[in-house]
This record gives sequence, structure tokens and C-alpha cells, in this order.
Amino acid sequence: MNPLLIVSSMLLGGLVAGVIGSLTGLGGGLVIVPFLTLVFHLPVPQAVGVSLFGVIATSTGAAPRFVGTGLANVRVGLFLQVAASSGALLGALISHRVPAHFLFLIFGIVMLYSAIMSFVPTSHDAAGAARSSPLAERFRLASRYRDGDHWVAYQVAGVAPAFAIMVGAGFLSALLGIGSGVFKVLAMDKLMRLPFKVSTATSNFMIGMTAATSAGYYLSHGDIPPLTAGAVILGVIAGAYAGGHWMKRIPTRLLRRLFAVVLCVVALDMLLKGFGL
Amino acid sequence: MNGLVEHRRRITLGILRVSIGLCLAMLLAGVVLFLVHGGAAQPANPGGSLPYILDAVLHRGGMLHAGAFLVAGLLVLLFTPVARLIAGVYVSARARDGVYVLIGLVVLGLVLVGMILGGG
Repeated sequence: MNPLLIVSSMLLGGLVAGVIGSLTGLGGGLVIVPFLTLVFHLPVPQAVGVSLFGVIATSTGAAPRFVGTGLANVRVGLFLQVAASSGALLGALISHRVPAHFLFLIFGIVMLYSAIMSFVPTSHDAAGAARSSPLAERFRLASRYRDGDHWVAYQVAGVAPAFAIMVGAGFLSALLGIGSGVFKVLAMDKLMRLPFKVSTATSNFMIGMTAATSAGYYLSHGDIPPLTAGAVILGVIAGAYAGGHWMKRIPTRLLRRLFAVVLCVVALDMLLKGFGL
Repeated sequence: MNGLVEHRRRITLGILRVSIGLCLAMLLAGVVLFLVHGGAAQPANPGGSLPYILDAVLHRGGMLHAGAFLVAGLLVLLFTPVARLIAGVYVSARARDGVYVLIGLVVLGLVLVGMILGGG
């Protein structure tokens, strides 16, 4: 294959992942891994490793939007990161022992779940938690954020179950090369009853660190093809930047649902591969 | 306390801007060098311990090796969240918040253990 064609197609794949990831909020990992495994026939650990670097790139690219807004609860992020990084380390350690068809199965299920969640109307508890749990008090997790010209204080509940979910989110992130943002936001929004804006900003703060835990493992293990990773990441960053600009002009809700349909088709392909069909 | 928050904001924004710029420059240089050199063979996957990878990057970087620039870009990207974490630990230490210094160090330890185990 022509070297220019190789680089161009990988850049294009990353670009599509970056645009879709930023417009739909579903993350680029769900695009990069199927793209590299199904189109380029890259071994699963290499595709997962490259995707994890893509996850760090998208998280880092989006981070300046949240810095200084006070929306990201750094204490909650750091506290839950212990769980997410532990899960990520565990996932990375067993990643090479899990058969590829089993990974395709899990990936297909996670994709289907993400697609279905795109059609479920989101409901956020505007009232939040009435009071902080003892664990939240002990670690001083309650905080406040600025909304226009006034401050909104909030309490934090459900710390222990959210901590357990974060272990699973980190595990799946390392195993599948995804950011697991959907699970992180879900745990903070529904279990800890954080304001939704705080949940998304804190999740962004955590995603890069979770991905870095396992990406370091994959890099040291020799699973990162540098040219593929470099071209895909350049595409992801450009795509995320373009997506951020188009966000205001494109009906993202419709796009999210269209992408969910595509996700379902790719998920079925992954599941069929998982079943050896 | 507000001064400390502002301090954290400036450190974080600085880290993010410098690292994204550096990462993009390195990766772009790597891809261009690969194409300029004819794209005969794709650079080999880096592996082993972190000092070993760093040594290879520094050694080959001077020879304008595409792989060295690509791996350097990847390392910059990998260390961006780590640098944010270190900045967080530093700010917590300045605020004399021992619990969050400890929590930050535990997370940092987990990231480093990942790298060490992968290289082993």
C-alpha cells in the first residue's frame, strides 16, 4: 500500500472519530477500535492501545473548556480516580490474556448500550442530594460552582457505590480502549447526585488520567505502532477541534441518534465476530 | 484561597497548551519525516522500560528518525494527564491538604506501576 495512502486513511479515520466524538459526546474510542480492527485488521491490543492515546488527546483537547470554571470537582475526581486507575491497571494486566473474540463480544455489548442510551431521554435530578453522606463529609467532597452571577452549592451522596462503578469503568476503558465517560457520568449523576454540569466536567478531568494508566502499560508492552498512533491522533485532535466549532450549527441530538444507528450496525458486526460468525 | 485556585488554573492551562502544541509538532514532524524518507518501512513499536524508550527517542531524534519524533509526541501526550496530576498534588501540598496529597500520590503510583509492569 502507498505510504501516503496509509497515512491519509489513518488521518481520515482519526478525523471522523474526533468529529463524531465531540459532536455526539460518545467519545472517539467507539470509532477508533472498530476502524482499526475491522478496516486495517490491526491486532486488538494495538487498536486498543492507539485508541487510549486518542482518548487522552480528546480529553486534553476538551479540558481548557472546563479549567477555571469551577465545574470540575477536583476532590471528587481525585478520590474516584483511585478506583478508576485501579480498574484500568487490572484491565491492562489481563488484556493480553483475554481472547480477541471475547473482547469483540464485550465491545459489541458496550456499543449497543451506548447506542440505546442515545435514545433514552436524559433526566437529571435538579434538586441534587439533600445532604452529604458520612464518607463524602469525611473527604470534604461537597462543593459549589459558579452559575452566572451566583454560586450553586451542592452535596454529595452515594460515594461507595460510585467508587465501585469507577473500578468497572476503568477496567472497561483499559480493556476496550474507550474513555468510559458514559459510565462515569452516570455514576456521578445518578448515584452521587452531583449537578450534571459538574459530572461531565469531573468526568473529563478523570478520563485522561484513567486512559494514561493503561496507555503507559500498552506503550511499554510494545503494543503502540507509532505511525498509526501519530496519524490517528493528529486526525482526532483536528476532528475534535472542527467538531467543537460545528457543534453550534449542527442539530447534535439528531446526529447523536443517527450515529447511534451506525453504532448498532457496527456493534452487530463486532458481536458476530465475537461469536465466530 | 482564591489566589490558590487562580494559581492552579494558570498552571493547568499552561500544561495543557504547551503539551498539546508540543505533541502536535512532534507527531506532525514524525509523519512528515516518514513520508519524506519514502515511507519504506513503518517505525518499529517502542517497548520496554521508560528510560529505555526515552534513550531510544533521544538517540534517534538527533538523526531525524521519524519513529523518534512520533514516540516523543506520544510520550508528551501520555504525560499530560500525569503533569496535571502532579500540579494538583503540588497545589494540595501548598494548601497543606495532606489527604489529597496522599490520594494524588496513590493515583500517580498506579500510573507508574502500569508503565513498569508493561515494560517487564
